[in-house]
Amino acid sequence: MTTTRRDALKTVLGSVALTSLSFEGASAQAGGKFVYANNSPYDNLDPHTIFDTARAATRFNLYDGLYRWVDNPPKMIPWLAESHTVSDDGKVYTFKLRQNAKFHDGKPLTSADVVYSIERILALKKGPASLYLDNIKPGSTQAPDPHTVVFNLSDPSAIFLTTVPDILVVNSALVKANEKDGDWGEAWLARNEAGSGSYALRRHDPAVGFTARRFADHFAGWTGQPFDDLEFRTVLETNTRVLGLIRGDFQGADGYLPYDQIQRLRQSSNVQIIEQESMRVFILALNCTKPPMNNPNFRRALAYAFDYDGFIKSIMKDSVSRNPGPNPNNIWGTPADLKGYSYNLDKAREELKKVTEPLRPITINALAGFSESEQAATLFQNTLRQIGVEVVVEVSPWSVVSSRMRKADTQADIVPLWKSTYYVDPNNWVGELYGTRYHGTRTFSYYSNPEFDKRLDRALVSADQGERRKLYEEMTQMVNDDAAGIFVYNTRWYGPYSSKVEGIRFSPVSNGQDIRWASLKR
Amino acid sequence: MNWLSMVANRLLWFVPTLVGLLAIVFLLSRVIPVDPAVLAAGENASAEQVQQVRERFGFDKPLPVQFVNYLRDIAQGNLGTSLFTQQPIVDDLASRLPATLELTIFAVLIAGLIGIPLGVFCGLHRNSWIDHVLRVVTVSGLAVASFWLAMQLQFLFSMKLGWLPLSGRIEGFPPETVTGLMLVDALIEGDREMIGSALRHIVLPTLTLALPAAATVVRFTRNGVIGVINSPSVAYQTAMGFPRRLIVWKYVLRMALTATVTQLGLIFGILLAGAVVVETVFDWPGLGAYAVRSILQSDYNAVMGFTLCTGALFVFINLLVDMLQAAIDPRGAA
Repeated sequence: MTTTRRDALKTVLGSVALTSLSFEGASAQAGGKFVYANNSPYDNLDPHTIFDTARAATRFNLYDGLYRWVDNPPKMIPWLAESHTVSDDGKVYTFKLRQNAKFHDGKPLTSADVVYSIERILALKKGPASLYLDNIKPGSTQAPDPHTVVFNLSDPSAIFLTTVPDILVVNSALVKANEKDGDWGEAWLARNEAGSGSYALRRHDPAVGFTARRFADHFAGWTGQPFDDLEFRTVLETNTRVLGLIRGDFQGADGYLPYDQIQRLRQSSNVQIIEQESMRVFILALNCTKPPMNNPNFRRALAYAFDYDGFIKSIMKDSVSRNPGPNPNNIWGTPADLKGYSYNLDKAREELKKVTEPLRPITINALAGFSESEQAATLFQNTLRQIGVEVVVEVSPWSVVSSRMRKADTQADIVPLWKSTYYVDPNNWVGELYGTRYHGTRTFSYYSNPEFDKRLDRALVSADQGERRKLYEEMTQMVNDDAAGIFVYNTRWYGPYSSKVEGIRFSPVSNGQDIRWASLKR
Repeated sequence: MNWLSMVANRLLWFVPTLVGLLAIVFLLSRVIPVDPAVLAAGENASAEQVQQVRERFGFDKPLPVQFVNYLRDIAQGNLGTSLFTQQPIVDDLASRLPATLELTIFAVLIAGLIGIPLGVFCGLHRNSWIDHVLRVVTVSGLAVASFWLAMQLQFLFSMKLGWLPLSGRIEGFPPETVTGLMLVDALIEGDREMIGSALRHIVLPTLTLALPAAATVVRFTRNGVIGVINSPSVAYQTAMGFPRRLIVWKYVLRMALTATVTQLGLIFGILLAGAVVVETVFDWPGLGAYAVRSILQSDYNAVMGFTLCTGALFVFINLLVDMLQAAIDPRGAA
């Protein structure tokens, strides 16, 4: 027994719009090369192991998913799948695939490839795997015919559909042919490509980047004047990326440059800055397990002791907006009247007086190479000293910080970092960061609150958008009342592109790196 | 015979030197508070899976056993696999080493070509106004941060004058290479456009590395010349009526260059391992950038592979320097 697609969308998607697309088959007047300078290395192209937003280019240009996030506010549009239905019990998702999708080697894309892809994600346990491991058992996904794929979830899931775009489909025959010692082709796919995406890999040099050629036979067809060739290069030095944009060597670069560099780029006639409110919340993650951090009074004292306005005005130059809760301002799930905390050392001292445990030096573990993280740590160290809390600041690379965050007893007391968008649902933020079920995987806090978890459990299975909204608002309020984290700002995306480029479609998921829509002004 | 025994002696020390170097780096890498098994297993792996990885890679064994196993693998030409590129470390290093070597060789050549004549000139004109000016310049050259110099050169020659490219090794995406040395490949293919492009791209990174290095060469050559120019042998040659040019460029320079050659060898090693800033600023895909990424990602195998590679090169270059010195001044090989 299944519901219709329309019914399913009404109940499941909430604010996410699944927009139907009509694609034109006419060949486009294509041409030109788009060179993108990125701050992260393209040392691995595997779409099932690399999942960070900085390297979204490989996923969005070389591969396709069943659905796809575009634009801002983000909309989910049908992509490899034309439609889907959901069973009454909310556990069976059946997707109908397009008939005309092909891989870059010309092989038709079928449901067997989708099944192989999800099995590969579950087996490798990297990248997007944590989105599915709890709810999809290996071997449970079926391909009853070449254009139908059935996901059998262990439990109903209100967020499954929003995570479907992250199931990028690989050419199963090609990957299997390159498997070695049961590695699911991991070594091969790190250097090669087996996708159906809008662009096909031409060259990959892990030390330099990759180039790709427009895939003329892409199922979505081409309109306008798309770029024929893409070149994504690793350019680690910010100054070189900025100068390269000004000179016209690069047609695009990462959109989270320091604001002073954005101001510098604005003065160049060769560069345009595309501004968008993103969904990337800067948080001082608090490890809520170790005394006195497990005491809400102490955490509230911390929350009152951070100089939000000073940080946003003086350090961020007003380039971002204050975000009082864990969810970005531009998504539902936050109570309308949530005020959050403000800088007030008197209130901080009052809260501190209620703490009976002996105080100890607090450790802030800032991210090396991320100036905002380091500056927030230093600023916080100064203000906390004024209320009698000693702070030790450590600066470590992300690999060290993330490794420590795998366990509550190794995570630092405070970690200033961002929570980016992997799927567009409040669960991506408040749910994952504070739900006990995410301890050891996607949590930043090791916060545990049975009342919160009860609501989270319900919100993850409810098909009623109104109920989900209320539940996430209540969870957000609890996190705020318990000061389970310190929420500072939501990032504004300043995408620097050549002034000759048009058609860039920003979404907080693809971060302006989905180039199929862009073209050169003629 | 002395020369041969000197070479044999140095070669004998080659292996223990590298083992010592590896032991230090191995211990340091294990002090970092990152569990390599967690990194290798993936961020969502369960505790049991992490333990399986730990046992498979031998991370559960005592450190001395891990180190011996590592040495055994190296002896078989296996440096392990990178946790992040998923490629054998040997392949990763082989694809990046030529870029760094090309840059370093050019920088040392330019440093020598600028530094030695200037050093001789300063030594011959000791305490003249030009000697004072050059001393100030060379001291400044030593003090200049390569990061700052690189950006100034970019600003002047790429942005203001537009004479030279801003970054990269060649126009566009680098082609498939034969040797990995862009200029050598271009020469092999006889591609004039590629030769020109590769030369234009290497100028600024080379100058950034070479200018501070040239300052060192000037100072050592100057001191060498000053030490030799007043020696009895030079007085004898002058009294014999030898032309001054012959005395300076044949006899004085030969004796004065001993320390300079040693310095050039050291500079080569320092530039090889320390070109990271220049490689980063100029988007030069060499070993330095790879090493930094590996350190930031706690990719143990890659860090140790880089250390072994640069250490071996450093020892090898020092061997060459010793041989060259022995050729210049055979007394040193005794």
